[in-house]
Amino acid sequence: MQEHVQLTQKQINEDLLTSVLGTPRWWWPALGFFVLVFLIGMSAFGYMLNQGVGVTGLNRPVFWGAFMVNFVFFIGISHAGIMISAILRLTQAEWRRPITRAAEVLTVFSLMSALMAAPLVHVGRPWRADLWVFPYDFARGVWINIRSPFVWDPSAVMTYLTASTLFVLIALIPDLAIIRDRSTGLKRKLYAGMALGFRGTPRQWKLQTIAGILLSALVLPVFVSVHSIVSWDFAVQIGPEAWHSTIFAPYFIIGAIHSGVSAVATLMVVMVWAWGWNKYITPDHLDAIARLLIIVATAWFFFFFLEWVFALYTLEPAEMAMRKLQVFESPWSWLFVVFLFTAYFIPVPMWLFRGVRRSLFWMFVTTILVNVGMWLERFLIIVPGLMRRSEFIFDWGSYHPSIIELAMVAMTFAWVGMGMLVFTKVFPLIPLFDIKEGMVGRDEIRIGRRIVPASIRE
Amino acid sequence: MTTLKPPKSVIGLFEDEDTAADALDAVASAGFEQKEYEILTGTPYPEGTFGEEEPIHKLYRFPLIGAACGFTAGLLLTAGTQLAYPLIVGGKPLLSIPPMAIIMYEGTMLGAILFTVAGIIFESRLPRLFMGAYDTRITEGYIGITITSGEDEMPKAEEILKKAGAVDIKRGWEQTDFD
Amino acid sequence: MSEEAVHNGHGSTNPVEVMNDLLEKGSGQKPLFWRITALLGLLTVAGIVGFAIRLTSDGLGDTPKWGYHMALFALILTAVQGAPMVAIAPRIAKAHWRRSISRAAELFGLVGVVSFLIYIPLIWVLPSMTDGRRTLWFYGELNVPAYMPQIMATLVLVSLVVTGLSLLWVSARPDFAFLRDRSQGRRRKWYGRLAHGWIGSSQQWYWQKHRLGILGAFYFMMLVTVHFNVSVDFGMALVPGWIDALYPVTHAHSSLQAGVAITLVAMYVFYKWGPYKEYINFDQFWGLGKLLFALSLLWFWFWFSSFIIFWYGAKPSEEAILDLLMVGPYLPIFFVVFFLVFFIPLWAMIWNPLRRSVWGPVTIAISVLIATALDRIRVYVGAFSVSQHENKHQLDSIPDAVLPGLPDVLIWIGGIAACVLVYMLAARFIPPINIWEQKELKLYQVHKKFHRTEVQILGKPD
Repeated sequence: MQEHVQLTQKQINEDLLTSVLGTPRWWWPALGFFVLVFLIGMSAFGYMLNQGVGVTGLNRPVFWGAFMVNFVFFIGISHAGIMISAILRLTQAEWRRPITRAAEVLTVFSLMSALMAAPLVHVGRPWRADLWVFPYDFARGVWINIRSPFVWDPSAVMTYLTASTLFVLIALIPDLAIIRDRSTGLKRKLYAGMALGFRGTPRQWKLQTIAGILLSALVLPVFVSVHSIVSWDFAVQIGPEAWHSTIFAPYFIIGAIHSGVSAVATLMVVMVWAWGWNKYITPDHLDAIARLLIIVATAWFFFFFLEWVFALYTLEPAEMAMRKLQVFESPWSWLFVVFLFTAYFIPVPMWLFRGVRRSLFWMFVTTILVNVGMWLERFLIIVPGLMRRSEFIFDWGSYHPSIIELAMVAMTFAWVGMGMLVFTKVFPLIPLFDIKEGMVGRDEIRIGRRIVPASIRE
Repeated sequence: MTTLKPPKSVIGLFEDEDTAADALDAVASAGFEQKEYEILTGTPYPEGTFGEEEPIHKLYRFPLIGAACGFTAGLLLTAGTQLAYPLIVGGKPLLSIPPMAIIMYEGTMLGAILFTVAGIIFESRLPRLFMGAYDTRITEGYIGITITSGEDEMPKAEEILKKAGAVDIKRGWEQTDFD
Repeated sequence: MSEEAVHNGHGSTNPVEVMNDLLEKGSGQKPLFWRITALLGLLTVAGIVGFAIRLTSDGLGDTPKWGYHMALFALILTAVQGAPMVAIAPRIAKAHWRRSISRAAELFGLVGVVSFLIYIPLIWVLPSMTDGRRTLWFYGELNVPAYMPQIMATLVLVSLVVTGLSLLWVSARPDFAFLRDRSQGRRRKWYGRLAHGWIGSSQQWYWQKHRLGILGAFYFMMLVTVHFNVSVDFGMALVPGWIDALYPVTHAHSSLQAGVAITLVAMYVFYKWGPYKEYINFDQFWGLGKLLFALSLLWFWFWFSSFIIFWYGAKPSEEAILDLLMVGPYLPIFFVVFFLVFFIPLWAMIWNPLRRSVWGPVTIAISVLIATALDRIRVYVGAFSVSQHENKHQLDSIPDAVLPGLPDVLIWIGGIAACVLVYMLAARFIPPINIWEQKELKLYQVHKKFHRTEVQILGKPD
């Protein structure tokens, strides 16, 4: 990373609090758009509640459709936060600083979207599922079956949501103190309350620094468990042939990282375009994340390869039939081709070029492509796996998501956009204190005619 | 230098690190006790930058205690529910360890994380209801040194901070913004 | 931090002094060294005798008899050939703490030759695909030779060994030049040949950096491929119904874990009994210890990810596999493996005094290495003991545990002694601390005063 501009703390405050202390002109129309899409989705949800799940494309034997695809997709996106934040914190990677919070916040809103997709919308009549749990009817003496993956799943997702929300909140405290110091009246009182009286003593900074590392180390194992458990929703079953594979947990995790880190890269580009934070998110940052993506994508592709090799290795007729369906029968065949090209064969070769890695436009395009591909990947795992004609299934057919279903899918995406926009209005999306710390710890070493960027290591 | 009167605080603002470090030395050599003065900064600095003492904390105990609580809760929940409603499903035995391990693991991690967050807030000595002497320029890059002591010591404290090169001095008892 | 861990690199900031110091340290004559070498030579001969006994008494066709030999090959492949990754990965991440470790890790590339020698008889031991077992090669459906597993495994293993040797040579070339310039007679001639015209031109340094990057990436790819071929063709394919798509990754992961462990042990030997105390310090043990801890947690994740699918699916074919490899004849071994490879590292590494010491990570490394050895015995002796080929979908009966005979014990002792012997000799003639990387560190590492404290500034060049 050679491009570096030394900024004062005051400048950093002015630059990075623009989203909180001011409102850009585009902000209201953008929010309005997301609210509109969200409301359309909610209306579709209301219609489905009134008419029943028959208004969706779900039918025997495909009862897991776009909602479950969305659930897995958003759980995947949510892995971005911890991947970027925790791993890069633990490895003391300097380029993490401007992107950790955006990634963590993306985690929180994606998790909420995942919860919206599965336990709320997917179950059709949520009160029959959710109100069975809350409040729990102890009087009946009937207890949940903890041997079911559908109990492991909420325990993991709720742990992850709690952990990542607290992670964001703890790291927000010093920045809330900065906003407190820059606001007046009721706003000051509110931020003063949220900042808990943070003053910036050495003890408070030390605890803040340790918190980043310790919480990263604690959230990391949770992050690994969440998508593993989501994968086991599928893999422990022996019904659909393509699902019962030991590779599913790591395959889902690495896919989630691929998709999530791509989403963070998309977000980085949007942050530069929307708020003009190009002093903080530079081509060097995009370059670093693109290099990381090449490794992650290739690792993901290796797991994809293993999944396929071992499916063929079984030589079981049912498994073979399922794979033939995925690859040779329309529309799955062309979706499969689109998936492979968007998730790997277009973006990864492009990232090999320095010009692409450092271009806002191309990084935006390629990372969006990855997520199109990764959504399709989940679709191709879930739907063809269920629709294949197999023993003891006397009713089969295809699956086409209905317009009602698609409106609800769009709603979950709008929720993330809406949440992120509202967040940026209330809290800074780039951690100011982290950027300031980076500036303090920045140094240079002169070797002959060359100046090498350096940083302080205590 | 303790006093029976209620303590008051004063803050001196410094523009650069070296002046602040010298000021801290001056405060210490003037006889103020370690607990009576603090240095406030708008960003984390390497430990010992101002010659301040290393803060001692016991944060690492919190996740361990939390993990133990979470593990116990997970064990009780998973074992208790199976024993309270002993229904064999899918041929899986009662007290099936692999699924129990999954939920106990989540419980352990949740406990550890909740306790860690509580520990971070507690060990940071937050929430702090009364800010004392403070200046909003701290979060703009100024370095503040606060002295909290008896009312009688305040003139002396202000004198030391001024001599040490403070660009501004504020009295906590005259501030109303943060209390 | 323990008292013995307070050293903080060589005191001199002058790269030339560092080089001279390292060269001087490497040239000392030690009678004990040669006595140990002689003993290891004798043990290696005992191993060859054990091999000869096995070959003459059982021939190469009796697969179950060769289970321990296979397990030894798998162990050496796992631990020894995983070690160079400890140099490669931190070098790619530009982590400075690797500098004292990288050569010690790369030297294991030379020991890869022993791995290949032990592998050779297995080419004949592994039956051809004509026995009708399920394989990756679609034998019978595609036009592939009946010995395709042997052909592929040999090719990839040779590639791995050659890449490991190339990596060592490319990395050590500047050091060979330093040795060439400071030695006389035959030594000068040999080091001159090995240095292959190294004069330290900027072009040579440029290409060396790039070659190390490319060879490192290639080594990793070959390592994963070898583990894929070996774990499937020499393990999984021999056991009807064993379909575990994750196992090749678990196998390769074990290699990284054992590679870190064996490097830690080697570093400890250099630290404790070698003259390199100024160069090996707490940073190296701390860095490797953290890595080992993370890899031990990952081991559990990989294992559990496979286990839960088999346990929950509970198809008869899956239950038979669990029975053969975990809860049946090899239960005690599995229990010890689980304890040593996961349980001990987990609990030991969350204990501060142990984690922040030199001896702590080394103790865990030894625990991991013992576990890796036992795990390879569990898997390969178990897999080789199956001689059922009629029903390729499910294991019909679980064979009894195979205990090692005298030839097996001798082969293991000899194989391990040969590895140590080759490593010791390599470390005698190639500086075990990378001289040029130490010199480079002096350029990028600065200790300076930061107001009232002292900080370390680390430069990260592109």
